[in-house]
Amino acid sequence: MKNYILFVLLTVVPFTVIFAQDEEEKVKDRPVRAPFASGYLIDNQTTMIPIEGTLEFAIQHKFGTVENGMSDFFGIYAPAANIRLALNYVPFKNFQTGIGLSKERMYTDLNAKWTILEQTRENTIPVAVALYGVAAVDGRNESAFGNGKVWHSGEGTAEFDINFADRLSYFSQLIIGRKFNHWLSLQTGVSFTHYNLVGRKFDHDKVGVHFNGRVNFSPQSSFIFNYDAPLKIEQISEQLQVPDHHQPNVSFGIEIATSTHAFQIYMGNAKGIIPQDIMMWNSNEFSLDNLAFGFTITRIWNF
Amino acid sequence: MKKGKIKFLTYPLVFLTAGLLLAAFASPIANPPVKDWEIPAKYKEMENPYAGDKSLDRVGKMMYAKHCKSCHGNVGLGDGPKAASMNAEMMPFNDEKFQSQTDGEIYYQSIIGKDEMPNFEKKIPEEEDRWALINFVRSLK
Repeated sequence: MKNYILFVLLTVVPFTVIFAQDEEEKVKDRPVRAPFASGYLIDNQTTMIPIEGTLEFAIQHKFGTVENGMSDFFGIYAPAANIRLALNYVPFKNFQTGIGLSKERMYTDLNAKWTILEQTRENTIPVAVALYGVAAVDGRNESAFGNGKVWHSGEGTAEFDINFADRLSYFSQLIIGRKFNHWLSLQTGVSFTHYNLVGRKFDHDKVGVHFNGRVNFSPQSSFIFNYDAPLKIEQISEQLQVPDHHQPNVSFGIEIATSTHAFQIYMGNAKGIIPQDIMMWNSNEFSLDNLAFGFTITRIWNF
Repeated sequence: MKKGKIKFLTYPLVFLTAGLLLAAFASPIANPPVKDWEIPAKYKEMENPYAGDKSLDRVGKMMYAKHCKSCHGNVGLGDGPKAASMNAEMMPFNDEKFQSQTDGEIYYQSIIGKDEMPNFEKKIPEEEDRWALINFVRSLK
């Protein structure tokens, strides 16, 4: 599998570079103006990467679900909140790398995003293409992983110590986006999620599809939405029956962007913040009761 | 010994608190007068390659709303929400003195900046977008 991925990367990447150079020589077609206001789009990433040398600080917060109504003021006072603090840096043009800490499962994540192609104004390149990858470490106590008994395929239940590799999870995504006009930008994507350790009833791998976008309604404000669907694929399932926890993540909200900040306030049905957690563990069905308020604030500094 | 130490700390603390209390009654220092901009000749003589380009009207408006409005206000009167916390006085964009400047001078003030006026070279990297913004500021007569 690893060799196969390496093979694909080695064959595809050089050609994209050659292709890009070729385009540059033929026409001086410039990239479209900011297809998105920020690199974040609720729970997803956009193909937009700020200018090189940019440092970004992000605060992502999700409150509890609104189901209890006034008693916990629609989840604002609920104890089940999740928060992530993150720093991202753009060392090279169209390449961003970052680190984040989340409360849920005490995740520490390292991530990288590379916008391989930018959509151009004259449609020489009609879409933007980006790759996004996240590796996260579950930092909880060993006891949080169960009683130390781990299901090992073919060997049944066995005693295991939780080692570092068991805490790792990965998310990789291909994002394709297009700015259709000055008020509409849409993205679609496909992703692969892998957890090194899951409960015996679950799968280690999950493939998902993504659809998200923004609709500008004033120079600074837009309506934004996400739809992330983990797919039930029998062929890759390790179980006789494809396990549960396959709820799609639906979220929608408002984004306000200024020179250095982006504010997003939204409602959604996933408690997780990092993408692999959402794709693998979202068990909240999409219903009014399962929606929770959340917000994202980003601040950028240019160096 | 312990008591002596406390005494040693008491007097400075009393003076500090008293000083802070008194400072609250001090009259605020008036805003320093705006120092004239020293604009390099290179910018003064700069031509606006997009002067009168109507196709950039919306771009200029978007740039202004995103980067300038919070200080300079909706129509450039220097009355945006952040203006009150500024030390420098902002010249309204409808001021004759402001509008009598060349496009290049406005370019230097808007994009290069000084002191409280930030540099926007990295936030607005494209020349076309910068001039679109200047065209919009020009329209706020």
